[in-house]
Amino acid sequence: MTQQTWDEVGGLLPHDEFRAASEAIVANIEQVIEGKTATVRLALAVLLAEGHLLIEDVPGVGKTKLAKALARSIDCTVRRIQFTPDLLPSDVTGVSVYNQETHDFEFRPGAVFANLVVGDEINRASPKTQSALLECMEERQVTVDGVTYQLQTPFMVIATQNPIEMEGTYPLPEAQRDRFTARIAMGYPDAGAELAMLDGHGGTDPLNELRAVSDADIVRQLIATVRQVHVADAVKQYAIDLVTATREAPDLRLGASPRATLQLLRTARAVAALEGRDYVLPDDLQALAVPVLAHRIIPTADAQLARRTTDAIVSELVHRLALPHDRQRSPYDTRPATGNGRAPYEPRRP
Amino acid sequence: MITSRNIGAVAAAATLLAAAPLSAIFETWTWLVQSAIAVAVVAGVAALTRLVRAPLWGQVLGMVAALVLALTWLFPSGSELLTFLPTPATFGHFADLFTGSMQDMRSYGVEVPDTDPLLFITVLGVGGVAVLVDLLAVGLRRPALAGLPMLAIYSVPVAVYVNSVPPVPFVVGAAGYLWLLVTDNVDRVRRFGRRFTGDGRDVDVWEASPLAAAGRRLAVVGVALAVALPLAVPGMTSGLLDTLGGGTGNGTGRAGAGGSSGRIDLFASLAGQLNQSEVADLVKVTTSEPSPFYLRYAVADELRPNGFQARNPSGRPVNRDLPDPTERAGRGVQQTPYRATVEVTKSLSMSLMPVYAEPVRTDDLNSNWLYDPNQQVVFSNRENSRDRKYSFDYIRSTYTPAALRAAQPLPADHPVRRQLTATPGPVPEVEELVKSLVQGKRTDYDRVLSIYQHFSADNGFSYRLSTESGSSGQDIVNFLTNKVGYCQQYAAAMAWLVRSAGIPARVAFGFTNGSKRDGDTYTLTNLNLHAWTEVYFDGIGWVPFDATPTYGVPGSTRSAWAPDTDAVEPSSPDTGATDTSADPDASAGPTGSDNADRDTDSGLSLAGETPAEQAPVWPWWTAGLLALLALLAIPALRRLALRRRRGSRAAGAARAATPADAAPVDGGRLMVVEADANAARADAHAAWAELLDTLVDFQVRVDRTETPRATADRLVREAVSDDVAAVGAARLLGRAEERARYARDPLTGEPLVPALRAVRGALAARADRRTRLLAAVLPPSVLLRWRTALADSSGRMVALTGRARYRLLRWNPRRLLADRAAR
Repeated sequence: MTQQTWDEVGGLLPHDEFRAASEAIVANIEQVIEGKTATVRLALAVLLAEGHLLIEDVPGVGKTKLAKALARSIDCTVRRIQFTPDLLPSDVTGVSVYNQETHDFEFRPGAVFANLVVGDEINRASPKTQSALLECMEERQVTVDGVTYQLQTPFMVIATQNPIEMEGTYPLPEAQRDRFTARIAMGYPDAGAELAMLDGHGGTDPLNELRAVSDADIVRQLIATVRQVHVADAVKQYAIDLVTATREAPDLRLGASPRATLQLLRTARAVAALEGRDYVLPDDLQALAVPVLAHRIIPTADAQLARRTTDAIVSELVHRLALPHDRQRSPYDTRPATGNGRAPYEPRRP
Repeated sequence: MITSRNIGAVAAAATLLAAAPLSAIFETWTWLVQSAIAVAVVAGVAALTRLVRAPLWGQVLGMVAALVLALTWLFPSGSELLTFLPTPATFGHFADLFTGSMQDMRSYGVEVPDTDPLLFITVLGVGGVAVLVDLLAVGLRRPALAGLPMLAIYSVPVAVYVNSVPPVPFVVGAAGYLWLLVTDNVDRVRRFGRRFTGDGRDVDVWEASPLAAAGRRLAVVGVALAVALPLAVPGMTSGLLDTLGGGTGNGTGRAGAGGSSGRIDLFASLAGQLNQSEVADLVKVTTSEPSPFYLRYAVADELRPNGFQARNPSGRPVNRDLPDPTERAGRGVQQTPYRATVEVTKSLSMSLMPVYAEPVRTDDLNSNWLYDPNQQVVFSNRENSRDRKYSFDYIRSTYTPAALRAAQPLPADHPVRRQLTATPGPVPEVEELVKSLVQGKRTDYDRVLSIYQHFSADNGFSYRLSTESGSSGQDIVNFLTNKVGYCQQYAAAMAWLVRSAGIPARVAFGFTNGSKRDGDTYTLTNLNLHAWTEVYFDGIGWVPFDATPTYGVPGSTRSAWAPDTDAVEPSSPDTGATDTSADPDASAGPTGSDNADRDTDSGLSLAGETPAEQAPVWPWWTAGLLALLALLAIPALRRLALRRRRGSRAAGAARAATPADAAPVDGGRLMVVEADANAARADAHAAWAELLDTLVDFQVRVDRTETPRATADRLVREAVSDDVAAVGAARLLGRAEERARYARDPLTGEPLVPALRAVRGALAARADRRTRLLAAVLPPSVLLRWRTALADSSGRMVALTGRARYRLLRWNPRRLLADRAAR
């Protein structure tokens, strides 16, 4: 088995081919998940941004189905881990076993050695097991018994979890949450979609009839194309402003990490590319702020008491934050320059 | 104790500051030195008494005693012990000084010289205020009340300068008062132990609390308003205060207690001047009139038991329109315009200005000089006649006896008659004499003439300067019996008699034509000062009668309606008569030559006598209106200029973007040459800025957190949804700006200007009339930008001053001391 390393991605895809390939995947998934185009596209964008996806919603809205549909649409290695309370880290990463024939220890790869890893009900496993994912998600490698094994590209962890059950679950630690590029909620389907679902899923599970419309090579090329999307300085500045705002917000105990900035921009690139643009807009960042940032931050006790969700806090920040002063802006622009409004003078205490 | 002493020192300093307005009254600063000494002594004694913990009454007694000692030392009578311990003689001296000060107040106009009585009353007043302020601010801890005595000082110049008071001394005084208040309150706050701040940090002892900044700003704004507002309000002229002043003045007799300052006892000064042995030139007057009647400067028309007195004049600035006497022209009244130039020497210093009756136009006099149309005098409450040169046009009226005879007696309830025939109680001798004189006379003129002729040499009247002066009832009777006097008695007696006959009369003061004459220039000395009678005839006005024997008065003139009763006597009066007769011959030539000698200004002014020459007012109004319109049009013009500039930018871009510049690359995408890309970016930005301005103008919300795409979408959704062209245009503008900002290659060759026009049209069609009007005339975008710029710059200024202040505070002595103490 050839080890595809992190940076070995394919060649660039022309605009039209990119569009065709990505649209095919989206359309394929939509055969299973009706009426959730935005969610599906976001999931695909996370894949193209080389990130990991956390799907969090109430039971029965199709979390696992989305994960499986995405996995099936791409012809690549897919593993599924059902996170149960007795799951062990070695079940995830792999284990060295003694081979009596060769009289040697032999590494038997765990579930993470695949292009797509679907982790179901991830919060039901103990933190010990959850933390087995830390290294592979960020560094795309697994170290067992002092030996480091590279993972393939593309590599994506799609995890699902149920937010309302508290007993018998282990909430993800901050470090683990920070490794997920985006957290998305499925949401209930609208009336028409639900009716179509009843019709479609009446007899057979459409998931079974799903054919792969893409493969790992094409995905690698898609990823390479996404990396080429142009990000203007102003957009970069805006991303920094957004993340900084979460760090300075009075409602938040913990702001977003620099990794969040990086993943925000990466995802924005992917979203822009999926929309057929070769440049990122602040609009992309605004749309991605909640999925990408909200699960990484921790509100203060006061904000929690006031029942302010992190989603609400982030979207309020987005609505409050002015666009950055563009270096190429017109000299006639009426809007006053942004500033934090504090007087630069602060008397020094003797 | 230390803080109390602090407040005591501040109270003393504040008192001195509050005395600053007095500088407008005195010529020199001696008063300040002496007041400072008195205040310092008072404050020192107050501090001492507090040091020994004397009770409040003890402090007050101590301060009063200190003031007396200071006064004794400053104004010695010669009989003190050790030069500062007062004796009974000292208090007698003080009483004299006090009385003298009353007299000085009447005899001097502002600015007064340093006379002992005036300095005494000033030091006494300032010292008294210092005692009061100390008592209120330190003893009773009610510094706010200390403002009242301070205000009392300020009221002195207010009373003297009727029409306006110099603002700077007021600011100084107010600053002193505020200082006192601040010191007291800082002391009070310090007693809390801990000082409060607005921003949660500690404040050092040396440092002013940040909370105080608001108070300081309020104080500055308050004082500035208090000074600026009265200056800005027009028409705060003499009227009200003047009548009040005149109403409250209680006599000006020798014994007079009180009396408003600045009032002059005309008779006293007249007698004084006439009796002076040395002769001083007072006035030099050049007139185009061949034989002018007397130059006059004052009128005494109030008859009190102790004689004729001048009322305070009131009137309008002399450099505005003066009343036109030609309205009264009638049969037998001849009115001729003349022009005269008066040069006052250094020796004549008073608040009145000699003019010929009746001036119609003046030059070289500012608006501090006022003209009283009733008294026909020019006066000022602020300035002084000393060393002044001025010209004026006047109308000389002459009357025929027939015309005067034709004048009807005034009705008994006519205000002039009621006021100017009043006599203080009947004097039997006078009543009798008048009765005998006017018996059988049918007209007012005949009655007046009869009284006038009574003062003739035939009746035994003669002229002598060394007579007891005075014009009270008893003085008049004495004069009528003794029949010896000078112009004062003649003028007053005749006025009194005429009044007794029921005809309004008053005494006028001025100069005769004198005996020094060069061409038509008369040099008038103190010996030419004169008084005469003026009688009021209905429809004609005030007509002068000079009853004084001509031989006693060099340069006296007589008129057709009041011929010289002593003309037969071949004595000295002939000098005056010959002068008069010589006048016509002498003046014809000199008048011309003199006119030629005058500078061009006067020459032009002379020509400008005709009403057509008066500067019309409407150009000013028009100019003002135009300036106002221009001012109002500035925002709209600025907006137009902006739109034009952006429009030309965007249009230029559309022209430049020819297909040759753009080559199709990579499946239909356009690759644009870099230089053009920059230009296209600038165009898109210009178009976008213009769109935002248009939105602001038409009151569509502009959100700084929105991306161009979101803004365009909202615009489409909310504002221009009905107009298909405008929808496309708005989206195009949004896309162009978005590409220009964030993409590698901007949009080129798009019709941005038509798009702008379409959006603007759609917005205008949707807006109501008021919004459209505002957008055209006072575009909110421009106003908003200016406001923002103003706020930004003021914010920068505040930050800068804050930094500067902090740097300065590093060297604050209080801080340095506090730091050292802490070490």
